[in-house]
Amino acid sequence: MATTVGSADEDGGGGRGSTDAALCGDEDGGREGVRAAGSRARAAAHRRRRRQTVVAYLFLTPSLFFFAVFLVLPLLFAVLLSLSRWAGFDLADIRPVGTDNFAALFARGSSFLTPVLSNTLLYALGTVVLALSGAVLVAHCITNLRFQGLWRTLYFLPIVTTVVAVGNVWKYMYEPGGLVNGVLNALGLRSAAFLQDPATALPSIVVVQAWASLGSAILVLTAGLKAIPRSYYEAAELDGAGQFTVFARITLPLLRPSLLFVCVTQFITGLQSFALIIVMTGEGGPGDATNVAALEMYQRAFKYGDWGSASAAALVLFVLILVITLVQLWLFRRKGEDA
Amino acid sequence: MRRRRRFPWLSYLLVGVGAVVTVVPFLDMLLTSFKGAGEYGRLPYRFLPEAFELSNYREAFVRLDLPLLFRNSVVATAVITGSVLLTSSLAGYALAKLRFPGRDLIFRLVLATMMFPPFVFFIPHFLILVHWPLAGGNGLLGDGGAGLTVSLAALVMPFLVSGFGIFLMRQFIVSVPDEMLEAARIDGAGEFTVWWRIVVPQTKPVAVTLALLTFVSAWNEYIWALLVSTANPRLMTLPVGIQTLQSYLDPNRMVPVMMAGLMLSVLPVLLLFLLLQKYYIRGVMLSGLK
Repeated sequence: MATTVGSADEDGGGGRGSTDAALCGDEDGGREGVRAAGSRARAAAHRRRRRQTVVAYLFLTPSLFFFAVFLVLPLLFAVLLSLSRWAGFDLADIRPVGTDNFAALFARGSSFLTPVLSNTLLYALGTVVLALSGAVLVAHCITNLRFQGLWRTLYFLPIVTTVVAVGNVWKYMYEPGGLVNGVLNALGLRSAAFLQDPATALPSIVVVQAWASLGSAILVLTAGLKAIPRSYYEAAELDGAGQFTVFARITLPLLRPSLLFVCVTQFITGLQSFALIIVMTGEGGPGDATNVAALEMYQRAFKYGDWGSASAAALVLFVLILVITLVQLWLFRRKGEDA
Repeated sequence: MRRRRRFPWLSYLLVGVGAVVTVVPFLDMLLTSFKGAGEYGRLPYRFLPEAFELSNYREAFVRLDLPLLFRNSVVATAVITGSVLLTSSLAGYALAKLRFPGRDLIFRLVLATMMFPPFVFFIPHFLILVHWPLAGGNGLLGDGGAGLTVSLAALVMPFLVSGFGIFLMRQFIVSVPDEMLEAARIDGAGEFTVWWRIVVPQTKPVAVTLALLTFVSAWNEYIWALLVSTANPRLMTLPVGIQTLQSYLDPNRMVPVMMAGLMLSVLPVLLLFLLLQKYYIRGVMLSGLK
């Protein structure tokens, strides 16, 4: 009996502990014994639960401390800053100004809506369109080839490479003496000033961002392709459907969840990115041609020391991304109901 | 995959051209790093260097304090990776296998942390580190000194815990059989022993995945490292240090040196990725991001 209660003690699950005790009681044949063992087991289970709570919170302490200091506090701080004017490092100098910072962002003549926010949207949209269409084609074609792993590894290289390398290599490939213009010249075309011309600067960087994100898109789409039952293709083959019909009528519709996923995550990544732009153009130039919201925030804060309006810009972009994330969740849920 | 292959050549052509476009910039980086003085920027463009010169690598060592850059990158990456593994495993175990009030709430909080874009935190993180109490000459209220921006801690602090890491670990630990944990507990093991002796060995595969993902992103981190090293140049990491080369005057001379520096910074990660790519790819599939 003692050993059984002991094991109930180790068990911790209140329900199971009392069942064990009840079983013992039946063996003893007395109701008194059942009650005594039951209450002892309950007390033990209670002690055990309390000990488990303490241990669990001990295990969680580093993470919770971190989230408090580097997540909750900064969020509150960002909101506070966005409602203040502050140019220094002395916390006593913070002056509340209400919603002035937001008003200034959206004021007539402010560059925040155009070109900064419009650039941000174009950048994200362009990246998604290029990366997604490229990834669909490549992921689909790879399934016809041998050495699939090798191909995917090649496409994956840019993802594990630092943005400083990606940005600089492409920046110098776009230069007059670089590879891209070299190829253009070899084809008999004139050199283009890709990053110096306001008309071509943003698209030129969009291409690089799409190039860099192709690999992960291919990976997700490959997983989606592998999930499509072979029998669908066999049935289509029996019906004599051509390859393009099969692709348009079977592959694409069944791939919709993966497509949607890649589309939305890449779009959100595109809205946030600015490191590539810093590396390739320095300050979002020429003029504001490649300036995007996150870069604008970065410069307002760390170049001009205007923490208030920088935080306001960050929060506007944050809300935009939050809305898009919610739409994404909504779309996914609807998709789940369809299926 | 056995499929109708009416146009295999079309597939080969498309995938092949794409692969060339993907790989050529890396080749260009490698080849340019061997180009001699005056060779970059000369027209017409030539893909191959005239002679494979190592002078750019020597120049990179002269222009940059490479030992310092390497040390900062290695220390920061190691600390971040170690910390993320440890805290994710501990928190993941608690959330997966221990019963306590507030568990669901904390798990939801962890999921929510993945939704916040990093740029929202740049400004507050920087200010928090500057005003960190009792560090770098600061008083109890965090005033008076430079805070943590004087030390390597500034490079790692915002990355020590990962919501995604906790999530990944928790999902994996849930599948560790309860019977194994129970058996250890009956033998008198405390929860810490159960975690260390049963859970940690069981979670090795996912730990490798998480370590690799964390390593790559920490090694490649640019914006945050740029920020803290603007405050304190002794904190420069490899990517930040190499980027400073572009401020030298003669770009045609500097580009090959820069490519040499970039090769040095990219090679460790590329090698690690090629060795352990199956773990990395699984991680990206699991996270679906990046």
